[in-house]
Amino acid sequence: MAGAALILAAAGCGLGGGDQQSILDKEVLVVGVKPDQPGLGLRKGGEYEGFDVDVAKYVTRKLGFENVTFIPAPSAQREKMLQEGQVDLIFATYSITPERKTKVDFSGPYYVAHQDTLVRASDAAVIDNVRDLKGRNLCQVTGSNSWRRVKEERKVAVNLVEAPSYSDCIAKLKSGEVDAVSTDDLILAGFAGAETRSVKIINAPFTDERYGVGIKKGDIDGCEAVNKAITEMYQDGTAEKLLHKWFGPTGLNLTTTVPQFEGCG
Amino acid sequence: MTISQQAPAPPAAPAGQPPGPPPAPTPPAPATGRGRRRTVPARIWTLTGASLVAAALLFGATALSIGNAREGLQVIGHDAGPQVVATADLYFALSDMDAQVANVLLIGRETSLGKGRQQALDRYDQRRAEASRAVLQAAELALGDPTEQQTVRQVLDGLGRYERLAAQAILLDQQSQHAAGPPPDRVIELYRQATDLMRLDLLPKAYNLTLDSGTIVRETYEDESAAVLTGRFLVGAAGLLTLALLIGLQIFLARRFRRVLNPALLLATLIIAVFTLSGMLLLGREAENLRMAKDDGFNSVLALSRARAIGNTMHGDQSRYLLDPQRADTYEQVYLDKSQSVLYTPGGSLDKYYAGVDKVVGEWPEKVDFLGFHGAEARNLTLRDQRPAVGAVLTAYEKFQQQDRQMRRLAVAGQARQAIALRMGTLAQSFESYDKALVDLIALHRGAFDGAIRSGDDDLGGWNVIVPGAAVLAALLIFAGIVPRLSEYR
Repeated sequence: MAGAALILAAAGCGLGGGDQQSILDKEVLVVGVKPDQPGLGLRKGGEYEGFDVDVAKYVTRKLGFENVTFIPAPSAQREKMLQEGQVDLIFATYSITPERKTKVDFSGPYYVAHQDTLVRASDAAVIDNVRDLKGRNLCQVTGSNSWRRVKEERKVAVNLVEAPSYSDCIAKLKSGEVDAVSTDDLILAGFAGAETRSVKIINAPFTDERYGVGIKKGDIDGCEAVNKAITEMYQDGTAEKLLHKWFGPTGLNLTTTVPQFEGCG
Repeated sequence: MTISQQAPAPPAAPAGQPPGPPPAPTPPAPATGRGRRRTVPARIWTLTGASLVAAALLFGATALSIGNAREGLQVIGHDAGPQVVATADLYFALSDMDAQVANVLLIGRETSLGKGRQQALDRYDQRRAEASRAVLQAAELALGDPTEQQTVRQVLDGLGRYERLAAQAILLDQQSQHAAGPPPDRVIELYRQATDLMRLDLLPKAYNLTLDSGTIVRETYEDESAAVLTGRFLVGAAGLLTLALLIGLQIFLARRFRRVLNPALLLATLIIAVFTLSGMLLLGREAENLRMAKDDGFNSVLALSRARAIGNTMHGDQSRYLLDPQRADTYEQVYLDKSQSVLYTPGGSLDKYYAGVDKVVGEWPEKVDFLGFHGAEARNLTLRDQRPAVGAVLTAYEKFQQQDRQMRRLAVAGQARQAIALRMGTLAQSFESYDKALVDLIALHRGAFDGAIRSGDDDLGGWNVIVPGAAVLAALLIFAGIVPRLSEYR
């Protein structure tokens, strides 16, 4: 009955699953992170460090990978890198948007960041929310759209002062050239870093930025496995630990419960 | 599976060989001189044995694949599928509890607003009961998955805390006897704790539970439908092989015994042919039934239920926007974010969004220039009557957003009282029409789901008799065909 056994084996199982390749079948995983985002993804020497990097390490370990290679994932190329298979997963302050979802899938979000405002500690008492920025100088980073949400969408009459980068904005904030810097709270917290005496986040969030894990479109098995790992990261307290490790000193209000997932596929 | 019973290994055939090249002729008989007389029965037995083995494969593969189809229909149509849909109700019930609390606090002591405070309280109780039932369903689905079970426990714990906070807020609000509008700060403070717990902690977990448990359905579907399709191929191959062997046997007998036809064998051949064909047709239909139940039914029901639950939270955000002026910006922003997940058109502010909705809904159905839940639905028109149903949803959604715009205009212009009256009156009605249109659309998909499952079940009806019946009949006929010939050698 060898033939019958063969059919039994073939029909009974083994033939399930999609035809789509999953990251779960790989030996080595390539993960894209930010190389220049303090607190989130920063290259130091040959190593990467930050919240995104730690989350990526936790998740890939839960998926059973010991070999993980980190490479930089520049914002403009993230979809392309996933589509072409240059990276398997992206953890790089990668906001889930409907447009991006037409090209790639997202696990998570693993954190919902909010646009918030960083001011000098001495001004923190008078600036309660974004409307109090009226008539003040707001830092505008070349190429970033965050200022639009204040000036155009919230219609707050601010004066824009241009700067090439957020670290430059922080310097200008301390020197008094600008009064406020506004972008994702985790990014602000990362840049503010140890400067907790001189600058302060006002904790008046006004957008949701859902940081997702980018994954190739159609890899539903991989996407769901990442979601499960993220759920466990919150359940076993790791998420809270990592959030406090990277952003705790800045006084930012951190959410330590699992975010609402986007759903796979 | 009755493979071995149906294929008694015939004495002279090397038992258990897979069908393939028929085994070498029987070893020469020890006695000499009568070689030819002994080889003929041996060859008859060999061919017969091979045919019976092939037929056993045919019936076995059919029975297995039918088992796969039955399992798929059971899980998707009767067990996990409906339960997963029920967990989507958990999110809806929780979100509506929070919306009703906001309404109660916003209405205050007024009696002339909308359906009034008492009705909001009644609906709160009703939703709480629904939420408890849905948690039970979720707990059942989570069996065997410790991570999911943990989430269910956390939802239960959180629900207890939420109810306590909400009850305190409602009691304090009642004591303050305030006019419609923002209640005293102490009440707002309590409600903030409650709604933060709900929106940031419980609702995400409830939502994730539905997504997690949907995995069972997806994996079952992928496994079973692949198995059914493979089974269909195996049935075809085994059927052809059996037919070839039976025809070979027929020809052999015709040549050796100079008879034109062996009627019993011919009948057996016919039975095998008809069985193979109808088996393949059945499995093809079952694969299609599973696909329809999953893609046109389950997936859409689940996605639209999520859209409905999110819509309900948006309606609550409208109350919260009026209830807590200090947080109005935040509530407006989450309202926009949720709107965009339901129906996406680009635009970072509500003003741009309203204009976008007017534009894309106006262009429909000529153009589907929007994403989100409704975009996916509008792009995937597969059911009869789906187009008008989607149209009704879109129109009602546009109306709802227009009313929202009006409410915010009133609020910004300082006409708080009119804004609240609108929220509890016309806006609430336009939300209900939108919700009703969405429920109708969900019912349409639910109908497709139930229809596909029913037709899958119906098609399988009788096959647990047909398979063994046809197997026994074919085996008997084959024996009836060869025994008289063999007896000529006695």
